[in-house]
Order: sequence, then structure tokens, then C-alpha cells
Amino acid sequence: MLKHLFKLIWKRKKMNSLMMFEIFFSFLILFAVWTLGIYNYRNYAQPSGLETDNVWVAFFNFNAPNDTIKAEYQELVRQQLTRYRTVHSFAFTSSNAPFTFSSMNNNVEYNKKTTMSEIMRVEPDFPKVMNMQISEGRWFNETDKAGNYRPIVITRHLKEELFGNESAIGKTLGNGEGAGANDPKMKVVGVVDYFKHKDDFQKLSSCIFQPSERWDDTMVMKVQAGSGAELEAQISKEVARLGKDWSIEIQQMNNMKSNRNNLVLVPVLILLIVCSFLVFNVALGLFGVLFQTISRRKQEIGVRRAMGATQGAILWHFIGETAVIATFGLILGVFFAVQFPLLNVFDVEAGVYLLGILMAVISVYVLVSICAFYPSRQASVMQPAIVLHEE
Amino acid sequence: MIHLKNIEKVYRTATVETVALNNINLSVEKGEFVSIMGPSGCGKSTLLNIIGLLDEPSKGKVEIGGKHTNGLPDSQLAHFRNQTLGFIFQSFHLINDLPVLDNVELPLLYRKVSSSERRRLASEALEKVGLSNRMKHYPNQLSGGQKQRVAIARAIVGQPQIILADEPTGNLDSNMGNEIMDILTTLNQRDKATIIMVTHDENMAKRTHRLIRLFDGSQVS
Repeated sequence: MLKHLFKLIWKRKKMNSLMMFEIFFSFLILFAVWTLGIYNYRNYAQPSGLETDNVWVAFFNFNAPNDTIKAEYQELVRQQLTRYRTVHSFAFTSSNAPFTFSSMNNNVEYNKKTTMSEIMRVEPDFPKVMNMQISEGRWFNETDKAGNYRPIVITRHLKEELFGNESAIGKTLGNGEGAGANDPKMKVVGVVDYFKHKDDFQKLSSCIFQPSERWDDTMVMKVQAGSGAELEAQISKEVARLGKDWSIEIQQMNNMKSNRNNLVLVPVLILLIVCSFLVFNVALGLFGVLFQTISRRKQEIGVRRAMGATQGAILWHFIGETAVIATFGLILGVFFAVQFPLLNVFDVEAGVYLLGILMAVISVYVLVSICAFYPSRQASVMQPAIVLHEE
Repeated sequence: MIHLKNIEKVYRTATVETVALNNINLSVEKGEFVSIMGPSGCGKSTLLNIIGLLDEPSKGKVEIGGKHTNGLPDSQLAHFRNQTLGFIFQSFHLINDLPVLDNVELPLLYRKVSSSERRRLASEALEKVGLSNRMKHYPNQLSGGQKQRVAIARAIVGQPQIILADEPTGNLDSNMGNEIMDILTTLNQRDKATIIMVTHDENMAKRTHRLIRLFDGSQVS
């Protein structure tokens, strides 16, 4: 029967090529949507490695003339914040604190292996504020300041990139190209498994945490659950009064994260809407073409029924024919789609592309089956006695 | 072989009721070659459709090969058509996108027959109608007479006991019509096929064993 279908399709290749190309383009659209969806979902499903509930981010502007004075101002802020019973912990960080729109990265080097990593300066209480768990080693503390090396904590992703399966603890990293001659080398004291600092959809990232410097003027603070605008206003008012021309802006980290998430979700949503519209149009096109095809082949349907085809055989004949045409469109589509994992486009895992291809193939077959079912059903219930006598 | 009892066929719309067949009683014995004649619209094709299980009577009983066919489900009717009946149509109804051999194989597609066996049976059927040299041609490369011979090959490929021919010579000139009649006569005489043929042509009807005349849906002789 399959050979029979191939013959019919081949003979009508010009007419079927339109349907084949519609399916080809639908596949490419669905492949893009599924791949993007799978990629983001897989990243989303990974633990974030930090907690943002009841975490606030304070952006200070001390208007300090130099870093020494700024360090004094930092101390004033610390003293002020310890007075609030509802502020459980706090830590100064560099301006690229989690979910800010700021980034700071540099090359790091180990045994001639160089890789780019985000670098975040944080105070020792940072993991307490963010509820981060160390999986190997320890977090740096005040005693590390005495050493010749700058103590750092790195993410597991960076550890695997630089050291593979070896333990990272105690290993020293160079600063890579462009580093100053006086920049101290970095010694790994701890490893964290996960750290999503951009958004919930961020892939496993390379990040280095190093001790905060005196010029850092961003702070993360863990506040008591239920603290709201009242505490925020109180802190802003009282801290701003500590120095001349100081300003402070406080944001909830959950809101910041949500804003960053939207930057990923909104384009995906727009793509999804555009794709749904395109696929809907393709489905309508398929539906129309199939209706027209069946309408033109009424007599053939009558003959097949007269020769012994059951209603079910007619139904599956047309669904089968459409599925075979869809398969040709898909073969073409898959040929292009497999180039993505083969050429490692966008540095996405091959598994994501392959799953995207599989889901797009399934989606096309489901779409085609739905579109083919109703016209095929109409064909199957045609009265042979009537259609055989139609001109 | 075929027994029709009190067959009535009425087509109803919201406002009009048209009686296509009225109280038809007919028996055709095995190996008979029967022709049905009558003016246009008298119900000849309707009667043939009912015998061919392509249509159901409004009233009456149809018995073919000792089996009552009224109320049989679609799958059994289809099986019955496939195994017992062969159809020949006035306008051939060949599938233009398939070569002659594939057209002839069509009834066997709905049986459990291997591909090679289908080829063999279809080739034999085409040989019987003298078209073994046209197997790979497409229907639009054939003359009217050749097309009808392909249609006959398709009707006989499954070796049915009954062949129903609806004006098989209607679209052909007299020479080609005679050729087709020769083939049908041979099938009847040599293969003992029971044939019921609708025709407008008295000369063709005279070559059959028995003539049934219809007028306004009723049997007049």
C-alpha cells in the first residue's frame, strides 16, 4: 500500500510540492520554537543556587571624594543597618550584584587554559544573605586578607572548565590577558554548584566571587519576611541622613529577577504568538488543499469503494498520503535542522537541538493528522453510488 | 445467484419524493448474461448500484450468493464487493495517475495479497483483454476502447462471480463496442461469469441471454 501511495504522490509531485514546502516551513518554525523552549526550560529546571525572597538590593551614591572616605561611609552604613532587627544580614557587593543590569567579566587562566568568567566582589556575609551553599571547601573570610593570594569561590561550571574532574581547592588562577602586573593571583578556597545571577533561564555560568573592595557601593540585605515599603522608606531616610548628598535606592530582588526574566520570556512569547499564527495559516492552507484534492478525486474514491475499500481504508488512505508528503517535507527540514548540532551553532548542547527536532517532527505529524482527518473523514463517508455518477 | 424481492428506492428531499425503483423482483442465475434496458432516468443505474451494494434499497430484500445483504455493516459490504463483484463503468473511472498495471491491481490492494502475486494476477487479467503490451502506459495514453479493456481487466482481476457493467459500450464507437462485448461474452462463456449489463444499445442487449426492461422505475418485461 505504501508503494501505491508513493506512486500517486510522485505522479502528483507538482501539486504536492506546495504542501511539502508548507510542511517544511512549519517544521523549521516549530523547530525554532521547540528548541528555544527546551533550551530555556532545561536552564530553568536547574537550581538557581540562591534565594531571592526577602532580599533587597540597595544602590548607594556616597558622593565620596576618594575610596578611603568611601570605606568609612560603608562602615557607617553597616553600623546603621545592624540597628534594625528586621534586617537579618547584609553584604556589600560590586555593582554587578545578582539581577542588576550590570556585568563585570574577565579572562582567567589555569595551565594555559583561558576562559571568560563573571567576577563578583562580595563581603563574607554574601552567601548568608543569598542562602548559598558551598559544595566544596569554604567561603573566604577576614583572615584570608593576610595571604599573598586573593581567595576566591568559583562555580562548578568554571571549575569543570578549568580543572575537569580534579579538585579545585587550593589551585591558583592567573588573571588572563590584560591583567596588571601587580594583580595578585587568585586561589580557589571554595566551589558552589549553581549561581544564576542574570535570570532564571541562565545556563550554567562561570562566576568568581572574590572579597569586596572599599569602593563597592551596592548592597544586598536579607530582611524579615513581610517587611515592606515602611522599612524600605525608614532605611532610605535614615541612611541618607548619615552623610551629605548621599542617596540610596532600594529594590526588591524578586522584582529585579522578574524584570530580567521578562527579557527572556517576552521575546519567546512574541515568537510563540508569531509562530502560532504562521502555523495556523499553514494548517488552514493544508486543510484547504486537502479539501480541494479530495473534491477533485471524488470519482477515484467511488472506484476504490466499489473495488472493496472500506470507509476506514479511504480515511487512512488520505491520512497516509498526507503523512507521506509530510515525511518528505520533514526529511528536507531535518536535513537543515541537524546542521545546528553538527556545526554547534549558538553553542547549545546537541541534545537540545535533537529534542527540538523530535518535538517538531511530532508536532508536524500531529498538525498534519488533525488537518487531514476531517477532509479524509468526509472522503470516507462519500456515497460511491453518487460520486461515481458525478461529472 | 442474485435475488431481488420487492425492491423500492425512493429519493427524498424536504419537498420532493422521487420514486426511482418500484416493486422490482428479479432473479439472475449463476452464469447468466443479463442486460437491463430502458430510457434515461428509468432507474437502470440505481438498480445496478443496489445489486452492486453501492446503494441500499428503501424497501425490499437483496440476496446475493445466498446471503442477505440488507443492513450489513460497511466493512462486510466492502468485503463482499471486493470478493464477489466486479464493476465496469461507462466512463471507465481509471485513476489517471497510476499506470495500467496498478489500475488493474486496485481491487487486490484491499485483499491480503502479496505484491508479486498482485503483479502476476494483474498481468494475467491484462493478457485476457489483450493489453499485456500496455501495462506501463498511463490511462491518458490509451484509446477509449483500450481504457474500457483495462476497466474490464480490473473488474476480473479478483475473479469475482458477478460482473456488473454500467453501459460499458456507451462511450465507444460501434467497433470498439463490439470488441468489448466480445470480451464480456468470452468471460461469460469461458469463465462462467455472471454478468449484468445496463445498456441503451438494442444490438448489444441482443447478444445477452436475457433482457430486462425498466420504465419509470418499474420492470416492464
